[in-house]
Amino acid sequence: MHDGVFFEDHGIPTATVVSSEFVGAAAAQARALGADDYRTVAVAHPIQPLTREEVRVLADEAYGEILARLTA
Amino acid sequence: MSDYLDPTDSVAVPRTTARRAASLEGKVVTLLDISKAKGDHLLDRLEELLRERAGVRAIVRKRKPTFARPAPEPLRQEILASTDVVVEALAD
Amino acid sequence: MPADRGGLADPDAIETLFARGVTDGLPVVPPTRERVRRAIEATGRDGSELIALVPPNYGRATVEKIAINAVMAGCRAAYLPAVVAAVAAVCDDAFDLHGVSATTNAPAPLLVLNGPVRGALDVNCGAGVFGPGWRANATIGRAVRLVCVNVGGAVPGVVSMSTLAHPGRYTYCIGEHEEASPWDSLAVEHGFAPGRSTVAALAADAPLGVYDHASRTAPDLLATIAASLAVIVNHKMTHWGDTLLVLSPEHAATIAGDGWGKPEIRRFLHERLQRPVRELVPGRDGGEGLPEHVLRKFADPGRDATPIPKFRAPEHLKIVVAGGRAGRFSAIVPGWSFAHGSSLVFRAIDAP
Repeated sequence: MHDGVFFEDHGIPTATVVSSEFVGAAAAQARALGADDYRTVAVAHPIQPLTREEVRVLADEAYGEILARLTA
Repeated sequence: MSDYLDPTDSVAVPRTTARRAASLEGKVVTLLDISKAKGDHLLDRLEELLRERAGVRAIVRKRKPTFARPAPEPLRQEILASTDVVVEALAD
Repeated sequence: MPADRGGLADPDAIETLFARGVTDGLPVVPPTRERVRRAIEATGRDGSELIALVPPNYGRATVEKIAINAVMAGCRAAYLPAVVAAVAAVCDDAFDLHGVSATTNAPAPLLVLNGPVRGALDVNCGAGVFGPGWRANATIGRAVRLVCVNVGGAVPGVVSMSTLAHPGRYTYCIGEHEEASPWDSLAVEHGFAPGRSTVAALAADAPLGVYDHASRTAPDLLATIAASLAVIVNHKMTHWGDTLLVLSPEHAATIAGDGWGKPEIRRFLHERLQRPVRELVPGRDGGEGLPEHVLRKFADPGRDATPIPKFRAPEHLKIVVAGGRAGRFSAIVPGWSFAHGSSLVFRAIDAP
């Protein structure tokens, strides 16, 4: 989250991808830094037990939202 | 009550998010891997999708040493100097 | 301005502080101006002096902010130099408090005190060393926790996402029982003079007890301890880092009785704690195992006999003697110390 806020501070649009269980923690951390508007992109939790193919499907599902987060 | 001193310290400062372009066409995209297992699989697929569909100029892959700390300052500066947008993944 | 009455003017002082969300779930001592003033004075420093930035918020731990949290934790003013040193230790980059405070894993800062400070502050090093009953142990550890949450922003379940955590997150502070140790103390081993007071901080899981009543030689006893060390984190975890072995005085005496020192203990344990690649392949005895980037180095991992160490080097096995003089029990305190993770960090405690 600190990295994303850092890049945004320096004018670089950033999409931070987190699993759904961490959306709240990421938002709380961003708020603590004053970045109330910072939004992450969520993919379904959990990640660690998944196969490569299952993780790749998450990328397909999140692609549209990642693109939207990086553009106006 | 207000005689009790405050044990906290706020570090919040006003911040705004960066301005966005209408599309990623012709842009340099940095995919930053936080070094958590499986994140590379997500970024591999994302790289393919961006190449096929977004018309990006270049995709740069970077990796920070550990998910357990913010990216080191030299890596941050290197990315800042050479990219238009960043995707960071995957925190879980 | 009404006279400072130690918070007693406010009949609901404790509830007021709970309502502000600045406690650890136990009542705190109201941080009145007078109490905090005395605490700052005991450091011999200016209240505005910055000691550290506390991750993950990187809030400013000035002497005053540390004093406020230490008062709330129940510290006597005399404990403040130890608390200040402990806060500096956990905020050292090598400790990785950012990761410790945010991770889904369970680490809490374990503080180990060495030197004259133990006697001066009545720090428990003996019977029940990890347990309750000693104000210094209870409140110095608690003060560090409150600083992590109130200054660092590690609010449990909000930013601090540990799945299980452990009771050491209330307080986790021991003294080494140097008087019952046959060897140099942890601090002396790490380069401090014997008369120096120090605090060491380890990002640590809960202590795991090792019971061995029967062994009468160093190799026998250490074989028992090695088998318990082999399963920390999970039974197939390898390349682990700093981990604390807490030997009781009786166990230490058995080992020293064979003429073994700490270097011999470390060497014995490190050599014993190696397993062939073929036993560490994911899917054999559980889904866990060597990560992909390590497996790739072997042509046929399922048959490979190359030994892989549990710990990256013998030096990662940190040893202290602590606990009561009676009892053949030791404890393993697993560090949160994967590669690029947290390491044991020391700070000298400055007398004001």
